[in-house]
Amino acid sequence: MESISKECTPLKHEYDACFTKWYSEKFLQGAKTNDCTKVFKQYQECLKRVLKEKGLTKMISDARPAIGSVFADRDGDEKK
Amino acid sequence: MVKFFQQRYSYDYSWNTVSYAFLNRYPNPFATHVLTADTLDHRIDEETGELRITRLLRKTNSVPRWARSIIRGNDAYILEEVVVDRQAGRLVSKTRNITHTRLMKVEEKQTLKADPLDQNQTLCKNETSIVSSIGYGLNSRIENFSLSRFAENISKSRKGMLYVLELAQRKGLFRQRLRVEQQLEN
Repeated sequence: MESISKECTPLKHEYDACFTKWYSEKFLQGAKTNDCTKVFKQYQECLKRVLKEKGLTKMISDARPAIGSVFADRDGDEKK
Repeated sequence: MVKFFQQRYSYDYSWNTVSYAFLNRYPNPFATHVLTADTLDHRIDEETGELRITRLLRKTNSVPRWARSIIRGNDAYILEEVVVDRQAGRLVSKTRNITHTRLMKVEEKQTLKADPLDQNQTLCKNETSIVSSIGYGLNSRIENFSLSRFAENISKSRKGMLYVLELAQRKGLFRQRLRVEQQLEN
């Protein structure tokens, strides 16, 4: 899957490959380490620049806390 | 106008496989409307051990003809937050559109839970909420449109998941076989 900007796609692919491997081989096996931080940081530097250029940064930071808020009062059921 | 939809089904795969497939579900032939996907955040909650991921998806904006005069801009951006609780065998994904919110706010929650009675089954629950306050007598149209779109989207996302699950399992089997072969060689 492509990144929002072509220039970030190679770093995104590198991160995705690292994440996928980590998820199946470590996280699902119970490891609590967070691998892929180095490549993730590089990918984020690229991504942050692009999101700023596209004027999406504020839209994202405003929306993040609200995600799923309509379901908030129903969440209790899930924990049971 | 607020509208809730809900649907439940299950996958004939273990929760490990389903959660893996869910996080790797794009691209797939049933999600050609998803153009790009980026991870904005990825962290492990130190207290609970939960994995938290935030993603930004860009989708083509296939709106009905009657809404084209209201909606400007081609693509729609969707934010997704995923929480994976490995110990409980539960993945919860929540999404919300961040563009075209004047027309409607669509939030979706998907819960993937390991079936306590059968470890080769995963239970899936889809909840969608649509809030629209545009008025102009369009609410019932929006409602009908979103109802049919809800069913269509779930069917498509299920097909996409099954496609990715099949791939994941084949890969897993391949790896297992490789391991056996390696052991035999040793």
